[in-house]
Amino acid sequence: MGNVIAVISGKGGVGKTTTTANIGLGIAMNGKRCVVVDFDIGQRNLDMILGLENRVVYDIIQVMDEEATLSQALIKSKMNDKLYFLAASQTKDKTVLSSEKISKLIVTLREDFDYIILDAPAGIESGYEHTIEFADAAIIVVNPEVSSIRDADRAIGILDSKSQRVKDGAEVAKYLIINRIDAKMVQSGEMLSSDDILDILGINLLGKVPEDRGIIDASNQGKPIILNPSSAAGQAYKRIASRLCGEDVDMPELEIVQGGFLQKIKGIFK
Amino acid sequence: MRNKQYSVKVFETTLTDDNQFISFFNTNYKLFKDYLIVIHGDLSPQILAFLQEKKLHYLNNAILPKNQGRKALEEQIAVQQEQTQQVEQELLKLSDRLQNNLTVKDTLIRSGHDIKVDGDLLLLNRVNSGATLHVEGNLIVTQLVEGAIRCYGNFMMLKASPKANIVFHDVIVDNVLLKERLNRVELKDNEIRITPVLKETTWVM
Repeated sequence: MGNVIAVISGKGGVGKTTTTANIGLGIAMNGKRCVVVDFDIGQRNLDMILGLENRVVYDIIQVMDEEATLSQALIKSKMNDKLYFLAASQTKDKTVLSSEKISKLIVTLREDFDYIILDAPAGIESGYEHTIEFADAAIIVVNPEVSSIRDADRAIGILDSKSQRVKDGAEVAKYLIINRIDAKMVQSGEMLSSDDILDILGINLLGKVPEDRGIIDASNQGKPIILNPSSAAGQAYKRIASRLCGEDVDMPELEIVQGGFLQKIKGIFK
Repeated sequence: MRNKQYSVKVFETTLTDDNQFISFFNTNYKLFKDYLIVIHGDLSPQILAFLQEKKLHYLNNAILPKNQGRKALEEQIAVQQEQTQQVEQELLKLSDRLQNNLTVKDTLIRSGHDIKVDGDLLLLNRVNSGATLHVEGNLIVTQLVEGAIRCYGNFMMLKASPKANIVFHDVIVDNVLLKERLNRVELKDNEIRITPVLKETTWVM
């Protein structure tokens, strides 16, 4: 039985899709069968970030409406043979989604895969509610700024009231990823520290990802940053994927500016 | 100590004229021979001799405990009962406001939540930005408030960030005064008073 994880944020543009792509690939790199599903019906992006846009033939709506079979619609990644992708429809909108169809699709995916990662649309509309409806766990992606935190807080509130697991009396596991951390800005107090964010949201931290200029190029190239061994963000995603696969990976501190030679000397005499 | 208790019939009289007294007790001797006679006034030797001769039981200038009549007693009980009822009602009214079905919550109040509580609320968690807490009774929040509060109780105790929107009895509380510490906010003589509970509050968890 696979694990269904929804990647949510509330606010748009915080790095939800980038996170989904990198975590999906990271899980596959850990040897687990993983499928990433784009639930952002009408505004698909995940195919580009995974470098698969030229291979999309059938989408999730066609599978749900039985116009195509699941095996026809699933796209196997060239980067890792354990990673599969199911595209969102670009022409329809989210009103075509229905709980029964989604439930049926997820039951099928659970049989085939170890991890099913759902990329939720931004906002808290029906598309979002459908994404979280059958999830076992949710990864909440935030940026260290107040509007992202408040939107995430709202999204968690909806998750806690609308998910099927909660309606059945169970709980949805919630993990936090703090994305785009700028150590300098945190230290100068311009950016919220992760302790503050954890205080506000009251959920467990899964990982911190530093701001990395390489991500834009990686998205444009369709090569997730996790494949770049010299990228700090890529390494952070790698650690997060390993944690999701049950490994105990230590969490390096990203909010302290690494001092120069002089500062290190000063440190000795402190 | 040995005690005995009797119920005796008492006849009370005030002495004015010796002869009148003697003639009265002579004629009514049969009636009064088993009575305890309480005589007010000075006893002359003539009277003393008479009482001794007749073997009458008497007390001189003794003060008798005054019993009230049944009717007076009933009235008194009724008044007392009314008074207790009034006191009880006053207490009830007061306790209605002081502690009215207290709710204790330890859930994070997230953005978009709109919580309404009829009585008092003790909240052991945060009120996040974008959430609203509407409390008819008294309110205590042990962690930081960043959302909106509507409180109609006698008092509230909270620590609020400057971003929070705190309304106490339809008056917006200047929450710069509530920052960084636990404060007691109460309505007294038509004005809102804010007193810091302690400079630093550490809740033992």
